[in-house]
Amino acid sequence: MHRWRWLMHIVLKSLAYRQGRSLLLLGVLAMAASLVTSLGIVSSAMGLRVAEEVRKYGANLVVLPAAARIEVGSGGLDFGTITEPAYLPQDALLRVVGNEGVTEYSLHLRGHLKAGALEMPAEGVDFAVIRRLYPWWQLQGGWPGADEAVIGIDLAARLKLKAGDRIRAAGTAGAREFRVAGVVSTGGEEDKLLFIPLARMQEALGVGSSVSQARLLAQTGGVTLEQRAARLQGLLPGSVVREVRQVARTSEGLLKKVQLLMALVTAVVLIAAASSVASTMSMTVLERGKEIGLLKAMGATRLGVLLLFCGEAVVLGLTGGGVGYLLGSGIARFVMKTVFMVSAGIDLRFAGLSCAVSLCLALLGSAGPMMSVFRLDPVRSLRGE
Amino acid sequence: MVTDIIETRGLTRSYGEICALKPLDLLVPEGEWLSVMGHSGSGKSTLLNLLGGLDRPSGGSLQLGGEDLMALSEDGLARFRREFVGIIFQQHHLVPYLTALENVMMAQYFHSVPDEAEACSVLERVGLGQRLKNRPGELSGGEQQRVCIARAIINSPKLLLGDEPTGNLDHQNTGMVMELLKELRSEQRFTIILVTHNREVAAWGDRIISLDDGVLVREERTRR
Amino acid sequence: MMSALKLIPLLLAWCGIVAALARYFPGRRTLLLISCASSFAGGVAGGNLLLTNFNGEIAYSVVKALAGSCFLFLWVVALAVFYRVTGSGGQGTSVGHEKPYVFTATGLALLAGLLAGAICVCRLAPQGVAPLFVLGVAGALLAAGAFNVERFVPVDITMTGEALLVLIVSLLLFASSFALQLDLFSPLSMKVMKFIHDFVHQFFESMLVPDHLFFRRDVWEYIGYLFGSGVGFWGGLLIWLAPVILIGTAIRLERLPSVSHIRQGAQRRKLLASFIGERRCRLVAPCIALLILGAAVYNSLFPRVEYWDPKPVVVTMNASEAILIPKKGEINLEDGKLHKYLLKQGGREARFMILSTPDGRLTVTLDACAICKPEGYGQAEGAVICYYCKTLIPLETVGKPGGCNPVPVPFKVGADGVALDAMTILNRWSETVTTTSRIKGGGK
Repeated sequence: MHRWRWLMHIVLKSLAYRQGRSLLLLGVLAMAASLVTSLGIVSSAMGLRVAEEVRKYGANLVVLPAAARIEVGSGGLDFGTITEPAYLPQDALLRVVGNEGVTEYSLHLRGHLKAGALEMPAEGVDFAVIRRLYPWWQLQGGWPGADEAVIGIDLAARLKLKAGDRIRAAGTAGAREFRVAGVVSTGGEEDKLLFIPLARMQEALGVGSSVSQARLLAQTGGVTLEQRAARLQGLLPGSVVREVRQVARTSEGLLKKVQLLMALVTAVVLIAAASSVASTMSMTVLERGKEIGLLKAMGATRLGVLLLFCGEAVVLGLTGGGVGYLLGSGIARFVMKTVFMVSAGIDLRFAGLSCAVSLCLALLGSAGPMMSVFRLDPVRSLRGE
Repeated sequence: MVTDIIETRGLTRSYGEICALKPLDLLVPEGEWLSVMGHSGSGKSTLLNLLGGLDRPSGGSLQLGGEDLMALSEDGLARFRREFVGIIFQQHHLVPYLTALENVMMAQYFHSVPDEAEACSVLERVGLGQRLKNRPGELSGGEQQRVCIARAIINSPKLLLGDEPTGNLDHQNTGMVMELLKELRSEQRFTIILVTHNREVAAWGDRIISLDDGVLVREERTRR
Repeated sequence: MMSALKLIPLLLAWCGIVAALARYFPGRRTLLLISCASSFAGGVAGGNLLLTNFNGEIAYSVVKALAGSCFLFLWVVALAVFYRVTGSGGQGTSVGHEKPYVFTATGLALLAGLLAGAICVCRLAPQGVAPLFVLGVAGALLAAGAFNVERFVPVDITMTGEALLVLIVSLLLFASSFALQLDLFSPLSMKVMKFIHDFVHQFFESMLVPDHLFFRRDVWEYIGYLFGSGVGFWGGLLIWLAPVILIGTAIRLERLPSVSHIRQGAQRRKLLASFIGERRCRLVAPCIALLILGAAVYNSLFPRVEYWDPKPVVVTMNASEAILIPKKGEINLEDGKLHKYLLKQGGREARFMILSTPDGRLTVTLDACAICKPEGYGQAEGAVICYYCKTLIPLETVGKPGGCNPVPVPFKVGADGVALDAMTILNRWSETVTTTSRIKGGGK
């Protein structure tokens, strides 16, 4: 039989003989690896989302109703949903922006509409403005006229719609049928939305002439953007005016903090796992002293014995890493679905990370006990001392 | 002219203050069966560990098969153990999670490469052809000791050391084991050194030496 | 001084070659040493002759072709060895047959030395006589040093003839990977990428499958993988490492000598173990070669050439959508160096660069080409390099469209500066970037 295959055989038999202990070690390693994997996946996905959001804004100021601040703070990360819909009065907004050096603006009204039994997020916009302000919208089909809609590519795939189809969307106050004029893809949030003319949205939600968000492109001639925002804020009671850069900055800052927290938690868990591996391993080595002495008496070199124990650590580490990856990506999927409302893709790089973490833990944790294996005196251990 | 396989001059071993083995001069010709007698604490196990390369002497010289054990490194001693010596212990030390066959193959693995067919044939030779796949826990004391013998002779050692190999066995099993050793010796012509406190067992040897308190007190030849 | 530092890894590779030769041909060391030393010096001289008498491009491509043909030869040998071991029932081991010692030893030493010397010179670029003389002497001395170092390598490490060849070729390729013009791996991966790209294209056309319509987006994503840069890299890596892996596998699959004639089990096993050990020692050389080739790939991916690559200056357009960049002032546009600018407008941005060519012409181009991902350019000696495909574009041709040249932008040179139209730049940038960074992945 080949020497490596024999080594593997012995290692597996030894692990199977001490089932309970092996399972315990495996559990610890898998848990640590799964934590690293899931936090890694979540935080990298969050980073991507934030970058996407920041890149997306064409306007430099955003006006939001004061009550919806929670959503703002997370910068479109969808941390929380708006519990109480809050609106801005459209006419007051228009009056103010008209004489405050705002060259372009777009009004948005966000809400949920129902198509049959399915609820979907929808936004009322002025397509003419959108076309001008958001040149990166890639539209399959044409720009819509009155009573026509644009649908995000992901939503279209879900509803199996394409340009030219008709969709009946119902709000709390009324329903209407729209012809889908085009399918939009931006790679961002828009892919999941249905866009209909602003007036139709207002009718559907029954909110009169209100909007939930206004994005402004303010000229900064003479004053800084910050001053401009402060002035607008004074003129618009009940609303919050933010610089887009500020939104980006807060969400990036928040992200940094969350990631730091995650890193700390991970470090603590890893240290705990390593020490528990170390204690279990040293127990094992103590228990197996007689066996080690016997192997040495049979003519095993110190390295030969070490190889057996390292083999056990490696097998445990790799298995733990594999199990941890499966577990961790499952957790990450769940978290992303429930908290961030996006589905996470499978990233095999994290399988490598997971295995590496688990392997390192297993080897580091057993380094100390290994040293004692190295030093063990065969005569004394055989006598059972 | 028979050469001496073991040659010690003033061999001592002390643990701190306690001197377990006083200076000992011993010559063992190749192919001899030597019995070492003495009660517990007389230094006979210490002598055996020194001869098996498990322990290092505190003083004197120790030549085994032309090799100076004092000069060997730790790994050199390991190589010496696996190529030159086979050891049978009192408590039949076997690896608990391996079958009889695997225990024998383990010795092959450390020596060179595992060879299942050869290990099987040796186990058959010691009469365990039916018990290959049994773990030590499922074997009787006599069977376990025979596995140990198979493991000790699998690498064709020049020197077979036994530390009270029959200490835990009843009369019948003792007879079987000793008979087996005798047969194997006539086949493979290795040198045997058996440590025992049992006069009857010692009488199987060609020569008996007695140790007391680390000193050689008596030496006699048996009739064989 | 700097140039001496640049040569250290190359000279180390040369030492490796000499040590490998010394290990494989143990006798007649003086003869071997002399042929090594003299051939290296000859290579240095020959390389310099090439570089001074011909246009740089030609000289480099000659050396590059030599290195490339070494690699092809290695492929042939690898296939032959692999076929011999696996095809004919694993009969032949290479241990037995006689080698015409003097002929092969000196021949190999001469070839390796010539090429190594030439590569060193190419890395150094044309020099005066004195530094070249120093280089030649250093190579010869190092060869002698390597002969002495070789004695300290454990005697167990032996090689087969194939392994010697693998080691020499991989060291040569490693050395050549330090000179940008001699690098073989990136052209290889570009070739692979182009081949796969064209193949898929042809396939779709010949099967009359219409290109973009009728496929779901996710299907296109999978097809898109075939066009990505990953394909070129992994495919190139496979071709790059395969000969070494083949030879290693062949050694591993070699049948061990029979041990069945030995009756005693322990002795038989011991002999078998020693044969296995010897085979493992023979595997050391291919493993080292694998590492060296990996290092060469790393060099090729992250070349350690000092590019001039300034941080882009952010510019904005004025009311009439124009950008004015002064010729003099903080930045002197006509200093022959690359100047990069970043235009930000609303949510859009574009990178462009201004460069005055050696013949005094000002050029304005995007910091991207029409076929690669827009990773930008850096300025090397006499050329700009596309970071994505590592193509060197001579400064003379910057400003002309086509291939991997940076995409030119219309501009007007006034007395005091360069005037540009912002919207043109933005639009051209997004056109270029969308065509190159979407499905095609670059590198037609």
